[in-house]
Amino acid sequence: MEKVNRSRDKQKGKKDTTAEVFSHSQITRLYSRFTSLDKGENGTLSREDFQRIPELAINPLGDRIINAFFPEGEDQVNFRGFMRTLAHFRPIEDNEKSKDQNGPEPLNSRSNKLHFAFRLYDLDKDDKISRDELLQVLRMMVGVNISDEQLGSIADRTIQEADQDGDSAISFAEFVKVGKLHFYLLNETAHPCFLHTLT
Amino acid sequence: EKDKEEDESKEEDSCSQQNRASRKKNYQQKNSDGKKAGEEGSRQRERGKKAPTKDQKESENKEKKTNKKEKEGDDKQKTDRKNSTTTSSNSSDEESLSEEELAMLMEQVEQKKKLISTMRNKPWRMMKKLSVLREAQAFVEKFEGALGKGKGKKLYAYKMMMAKKWVKFKRDFDNFKTQCIPWEMKIKEVESHFGSSVASYFIFLRWMYGVNLVLFGLIFGLVIIPEILMGMPYGSMPRKTVPRAEQATAMDFSVLWDFEGYIKYSALFYGYYNNQRTIGWLKYRLPMAYFTVGISVFGYSLMVVIRSMARNANESTADGDDDNFIFSWKMFTSWDYLIGNPETADNKFASITTSFKESIVDEQESNKDENIHLRRFLRVLANVLIICCLCGSGYLIYFVVKRSQTFSKMQNVGWYERNEVEIVMSLLGMFCPPLFETIAALENYHPRIGLKWQLGRIFALFLGNLYTFLLALMDDVNEKLAEEDVVKNITHWTLLSHHNSSVGNGSTATPPPLDPADVPRGPCWETTVGIEIVRLTVSDILVTYITILVGDFIRACFVRFMNYCWCWDLEAGFVSHNCLSPFLFRMGSFYAPGLVGINVLRLLTSMYFQCWAVMSSNVPHARVFKASKSNNFYMGLLLLILFLSLLPVAYTIMSLPPSFDCGPFSGKKRMYEVIQETIELDFPLFVAKIFSYVANPGLIIPAILLMVLAIYYLNAVAEAYQRANAELKKKMQMQREEEKNKRNNKASTNPVLQDLEDLFTPSTKSESHLKEAEDKKIDFPNRTSPVVKQDKAAALGGSPMTGGRGTAFTLPPHMFVTRPPTPHVWAPYPGQPRPRGYPLGPVPGRGRGQPRYSYPAQ
Repeated sequence: MEKVNRSRDKQKGKKDTTAEVFSHSQITRLYSRFTSLDKGENGTLSREDFQRIPELAINPLGDRIINAFFPEGEDQVNFRGFMRTLAHFRPIEDNEKSKDQNGPEPLNSRSNKLHFAFRLYDLDKDDKISRDELLQVLRMMVGVNISDEQLGSIADRTIQEADQDGDSAISFAEFVKVGKLHFYLLNETAHPCFLHTLT
Repeated sequence: EKDKEEDESKEEDSCSQQNRASRKKNYQQKNSDGKKAGEEGSRQRERGKKAPTKDQKESENKEKKTNKKEKEGDDKQKTDRKNSTTTSSNSSDEESLSEEELAMLMEQVEQKKKLISTMRNKPWRMMKKLSVLREAQAFVEKFEGALGKGKGKKLYAYKMMMAKKWVKFKRDFDNFKTQCIPWEMKIKEVESHFGSSVASYFIFLRWMYGVNLVLFGLIFGLVIIPEILMGMPYGSMPRKTVPRAEQATAMDFSVLWDFEGYIKYSALFYGYYNNQRTIGWLKYRLPMAYFTVGISVFGYSLMVVIRSMARNANESTADGDDDNFIFSWKMFTSWDYLIGNPETADNKFASITTSFKESIVDEQESNKDENIHLRRFLRVLANVLIICCLCGSGYLIYFVVKRSQTFSKMQNVGWYERNEVEIVMSLLGMFCPPLFETIAALENYHPRIGLKWQLGRIFALFLGNLYTFLLALMDDVNEKLAEEDVVKNITHWTLLSHHNSSVGNGSTATPPPLDPADVPRGPCWETTVGIEIVRLTVSDILVTYITILVGDFIRACFVRFMNYCWCWDLEAGFVSHNCLSPFLFRMGSFYAPGLVGINVLRLLTSMYFQCWAVMSSNVPHARVFKASKSNNFYMGLLLLILFLSLLPVAYTIMSLPPSFDCGPFSGKKRMYEVIQETIELDFPLFVAKIFSYVANPGLIIPAILLMVLAIYYLNAVAEAYQRANAELKKKMQMQREEEKNKRNNKASTNPVLQDLEDLFTPSTKSESHLKEAEDKKIDFPNRTSPVVKQDKAAALGGSPMTGGRGTAFTLPPHMFVTRPPTPHVWAPYPGQPRPRGYPLGPVPGRGRGQPRYSYPAQ
């Protein structure tokens, strides 16, 4: 009996992750946005569909954000996957009551949000942001206006600040510890929440 | 409408289908559990007392199911089963048939549900999925309800319906709440074009609007509307009537535009109010209300600002690691994800680049300063120049206000002469800030510091101008006060003579009343001040709009087509648009209650207007703009403004006598006497006594002293906390560095050791505890003894291996096998004598660790 209960809980938790993050009207809006983005009209979105969004086209990290929508090795995303990724951008709800101790964390919890942000920088998925990865991001953000040497020193400084275990790379734990960043990413107004640009 | 509904249902189908399906499954599962138990139970009961029909029983059971927990049902099932094995054959054929049907139906429903939940994974087209899904859902809907019967069904259906309705209501309410936030969509639109920094400006505007709406409610609800509803009507008294001389032109637009004529003698201005203690059938104490509202306008605004400042201070403690992560912060968070406009994006790229460059330069040349004397000289020079500008503008305003007073005594003056003050002030406000910016270029400050200086100077300019304006106005007021004494006598004399003449004529006892328009009256300085401030406000609004319309539009065109370097300067705009007007408004609202309406209108229109201006014509600036509620610098400015605007009002309330023939306080020596009067007349005697004691300077001075002491104490405490915080931060940083160094050393010397350490540490901590636990856990008791034995042997340092034990111990947890002194105790110092004299190899960490692990496996 207990086993059944637990599996049921699990099921419930699973479905809750996306469905509870969004309200009904938001899902409606998201769906209409989804269909308007879906130029091929086959119920899925391709990378090109995403690149038509100006915010993403301009964003230096746009390609990576788009990549975050696609599961490993696929180049189509259906509405559910679309929602699942967008759920990360919902602001955190404050009320403690809604927190379910047993269930899994909602997709817009602190750690999931941070993880999402972390993965944007971690290209090779080794759970570390290396100097090269930082350099790539920097190049995308500042273009050709700063010399490679200076960029290198910026990357070095960043790692020096954040690195705690001396492996010359930023792990997720260190990423989380970058104090104000933490605050910033979780802050509702300042959060890189381009959700409404998609909706 | 219908389409929408369909759309919604479709959405729900496609996205929350799993949600629904699993919910149903839960219900179904419960249902079936309960039913099983119930069926068997019913059979048992049937044997005893021939139950009437299957249906009733089922409904009974279902009710039970809803109330009871599944566990109970389970228990029952168990006990029932014992009996049912013998009695199941008794049940009639007919019932078993229907049961079979039911089971079949249930199975089908189950299947459909499974289909719904797994639909997502099927490799079908969207259309097919949708159609199949709809079919399946219809089926489930139809037969799921049919499975329950009778009363239970109704209850079930009702419950389901209520649950659905409740969920729908909650959703609708949420939507409603978001729709209630004014301008949310507009701000989001701006945000998506220009990023969150520009949007924060509009959020700030919205906040100001909210505050002003509250003030509007206060003033209109408690002062203006009661006066209009219950006060004496227009024309009944001299103060509520346009004088005979002005009546001819009182409705002309040019007169109304200057807030003379009918507007001057309306409830929008101080002079209109009567000094009756109570008005209307409600016995509403209007003068008292007027006074308290005037005070609470200040109180409320001060409180709101201070509260949000305190909240910001609380929040800002969260990001204490400011200095430690400058680069990471810039690296990970400098891009504004909301930017969707290519031009803005270009600007943002430029600003990120400059900020990186700046921080590099700051890092490298923090103590490098080539020509300190020249820079100092330039800074002093710049400050001298700016002070000259400020003095000049102050004098200009004083001069103009004086001139306007002579103009006001002359007849037939032109439009320019009448509006000279406003024009000069607006022009100064327009041209001084750019001048300051040019001068500030000499100083060569760091941009952020430079910006603060710039803002401070603009602020000083406005305040200086306003205060000179007020001082000039004060002269005017004093003149009027002197004039008033004369007029007072004349009025008395007129009234008296009128009375006398009517009596002297010897006609009737009641003389024909003197028309209120003919009574000579005083200048009423309060209304004059109110009118001046209202006019200034209006001209400020107009100038602001014209500046936005012409200035920004032309500038935007220029920027767009000529060069890309000139960008919109929101911050200077912030000070001039949003710091000046609250000042004027708070100051004016006491003498012109109608000003609050104008202010609300101003904020409303400026919201739309600035939104439009930003969207249509602006190329936002590259600098980071943070004039939001969350920035205490701006809130501090606002607080200062409020305080400074409180001063003149407080001065006039406390030390100037109100006019004798206009306003709610006429006839009193000072305005605040209205409070004393209320306390004396409306409260019991002892309250008045208490009040008189409290108002005694002997009590007030110690109270102030106490407050000062409390402030001093709290300040000291806060400082101590701050110091403790800083100390803690330093300690944490040191600890982190230490850890880093330690880890560095270790990582370079021996990576395997680190792994070992991680494994060992828990075992050493709770060694005995674990051993006990393991002893209990292991199934075969005879094997526990060798473990202990081995441990002991290991501790003794002998060779612990005995015969066939190794096979039994394929993979024992290392927890209880290893019981060495913690490696990290001696790892950094390999030369230290080993505590228990192990005979094994010279490399202690590895040499010992490995064989101990490999023992069991051998």
